[in-house]
Amino acid sequence: MTKAIMDRMKKEKTGSNERANLSRREFIKSVGIGGGALVLFGQFGIHAAVLADSRNPVLKMVLVDYGKCTGCRTCEAVCSSHNRPVTIGGEKLPGLGNPRYSNIRVASYNPEVDIPNVCAMCADTPCVNACPVEPDPKTGRRALYRDETTHTVHNDAGRCIGCWSCAEACAAQRIGVISIDPATERPEGICTLCSGDPQCVKWCPFEALSYAEVKPDRKYYGLAPEKIAAELAKNWYGTADLGGLK
Amino acid sequence: MSGKPGYYGAILDIDLSSGKIEKVALKPKDLDQFVGGRGLGMKILWDRLKKPGVDPLSPDNPLIFMPGPFSGLPVPAASRTCVVTKSPMTSPVRSDYPCASTVSYSNVGGFFGPEIRFAGYDGILISGKANDLCYVTIDDGKVEIRDAKKFRGMRTDSFDRAILQELGDRRFKMIYIGPAGENLVRYASILHTSARAAGRGGVGCVMGSKNLKAIAVRGSGQPGVADHKRFLAALKNARLVLKNSPHTKAMVEQGTARGIVHLSNAGLEAVRNYREGTFPEADKIGGDAAKRDVWVRNVACYCCPLACKKSGLTRGNYGGIVHDGPEYEGGTMLGSNLLISDMAGMLKANYNVDDLGIDSISTGNVIGFLMEAYEKGMIDQKFLDGIDLQWGSVDATLAMIDKIALRNGVGDLASKGVKALSRQIGQGSEKFAIHVKGHELAAHNIQANPPRALCYITANRGACHLNGNDAAIQNTRAMQDSTGLCYFAAIETALNEPTLDLLRAITGREYDKTEFMKTGERVFNLEKLFNYREGFRREDDWLPDRFFEDAFTVGPKKGSVLNRDQFNVMLTQYYKDRGWDTETTKPGESRIKELSLDSI
Repeated sequence: MTKAIMDRMKKEKTGSNERANLSRREFIKSVGIGGGALVLFGQFGIHAAVLADSRNPVLKMVLVDYGKCTGCRTCEAVCSSHNRPVTIGGEKLPGLGNPRYSNIRVASYNPEVDIPNVCAMCADTPCVNACPVEPDPKTGRRALYRDETTHTVHNDAGRCIGCWSCAEACAAQRIGVISIDPATERPEGICTLCSGDPQCVKWCPFEALSYAEVKPDRKYYGLAPEKIAAELAKNWYGTADLGGLK
Repeated sequence: MSGKPGYYGAILDIDLSSGKIEKVALKPKDLDQFVGGRGLGMKILWDRLKKPGVDPLSPDNPLIFMPGPFSGLPVPAASRTCVVTKSPMTSPVRSDYPCASTVSYSNVGGFFGPEIRFAGYDGILISGKANDLCYVTIDDGKVEIRDAKKFRGMRTDSFDRAILQELGDRRFKMIYIGPAGENLVRYASILHTSARAAGRGGVGCVMGSKNLKAIAVRGSGQPGVADHKRFLAALKNARLVLKNSPHTKAMVEQGTARGIVHLSNAGLEAVRNYREGTFPEADKIGGDAAKRDVWVRNVACYCCPLACKKSGLTRGNYGGIVHDGPEYEGGTMLGSNLLISDMAGMLKANYNVDDLGIDSISTGNVIGFLMEAYEKGMIDQKFLDGIDLQWGSVDATLAMIDKIALRNGVGDLASKGVKALSRQIGQGSEKFAIHVKGHELAAHNIQANPPRALCYITANRGACHLNGNDAAIQNTRAMQDSTGLCYFAAIETALNEPTLDLLRAITGREYDKTEFMKTGERVFNLEKLFNYREGFRREDDWLPDRFFEDAFTVGPKKGSVLNRDQFNVMLTQYYKDRGWDTETTKPGESRIKELSLDSI
């Protein structure tokens, strides 16, 4: 099973490398020209088709290879460092990385299964949809919104009413990655993609993480960690009985 | 509190007798001189136990959990927590004090130490004794002593699940004892994630004597560093060094299990209660076999690129989940040393010792001793409560493990270790009771390895394979154990310079190699002063006769045996190198002064 995932990832890696040879602009241009587009769709799969629609940008996410993850939590530490910088002598520097403040969170089970849980960058954003704050007439944004440039989900702490609807929606419909900061009562744990250079991917000592295109048909996509863990535990240890929190 | 960079300058002090919980300031001078982990833990122990002869199982003996200045920072492999206390296992040949024993230190990886630092402390000190079984929760500044009666007798694998369910947050990091610790088995261990153990030195026994089942900690804080930019640079360098190290690759590949076959092939493995150095069937329980038949994944401690822990599944009669192993130590002590070559059976034994909370090394050593005494007819099946304790028998081994942990029948005597067992059995069995000072030897055999023999006998906690083969290595290890760094990573010499860089950036103290070594020497000598005060002398630094009399009969080192005279010469030279009296082993005054230990 892990081998299957690895094989698929290898394929995906190759795919993304090929695409990297084309600039985005060139690509959009080329898919825009009739017959050429059909050829390209065949080469890059149906997901490339969304590029043709500027309202549906290609979404990228941090993808986990659960077979390679060792549960070391380096991803948590570097995420926390990057996304919770400190200012020293007027200079903004990465923080020291308590995993408590990480947006990628490793759920560890007994027997040994570790599931780094990170924003699935859902195209349909159940979290944003659940936000009850009236959209701003100018920007159309609720308190929780998808940023047009980074395509990541942001929270406007000033407008957020701390109702936790986003966290509930994510937990009920997707992976439950959004939690609530007990101090501020605002949502936390939403991946920022570190401005396009995810630090977790960069520093994972086991190459278990990659920066990849969102593909909802991928196995485990959008599944809660306990569901993924149960399946892996069954394959690895012959049991789906996982210790700790259900 | 101290204002010293890299530290909070305080430990959490919990007295289970009175229920008093307070944050106690550490002396800035102690932070400079003893750093953290094993060193600072030793200094705290020294300050608490002002007199020799304190009963290690009395409420007076402190149990100290020490991360180091690297802990709680994203330094690769800075995952260790050193548990320091007075040993419940060791005793000198002669002493004025009935409860004389050495210092004990035992460290465990995982996530516990870093979390102590996230919670705002440089360590945790437990003293006293609770009225009934309890556990402690630490949630930043909120500390509670809670009732644990419902967990009594619970094995560590079940407890790991139960406590998490009770606390309701995976971010709590826990350490706990099993039934063996509750039952005061002398070599009880302290477990973390039900597979990682502070196994050696009886630290779980001391925890049990305090009626303390577990400690759970969660923290939202962040220990600081003296020079942030310099730290980030040093961190990057340390990561790259380990990433590019062939040693890292080897550990990811097979962990320490590779040693089972390699050391057997080199005539350096503990086989048949240390009678031999080579096990012809080692390949059946070694790393290659485990990789092929057992392991499903690699598991790492906090921020560690080595991932030496392996988990998996075995099938058949002894089949089941493998949380960890084989590692070299557990695989040898409960494998080769008992002539067990059944992979699933050996791993089941390893699972059971962790589940019950006893040290796999001492347990394998004790059972090996009993197998030999049984073979030689010194004890019979009646003595063993009906167990047919033959070499290689998995069933008999599993039965003995249960008996030891529950102190049932023969297990009561066996729970006290090989020294106590051989004293009871007599008949010359002390010749093959494989311990130093009452602490059992580990899985490295020594007939063909005199430097490792010296390593064992000069270790301050009793026989210890990690002590180091000479004074310089011992000082280095003592210092590494004081930072929070794991020895398995620190063994990579390319990490030496980045380690110094990190230490400088974190503490702001300009350590150079000399200062680093001197600090380690100070730690080692304070441990020695403690032991000397208890009554340990040169006669205690010695080995069972086996190693001088029973030459190996098989393997590449066939015929090897230690030579008493040569070994004595080597030992005398060691004491000279240390600046200790060669007759009494008392640390010399000039060396003590040089290390600033004269005024403590």
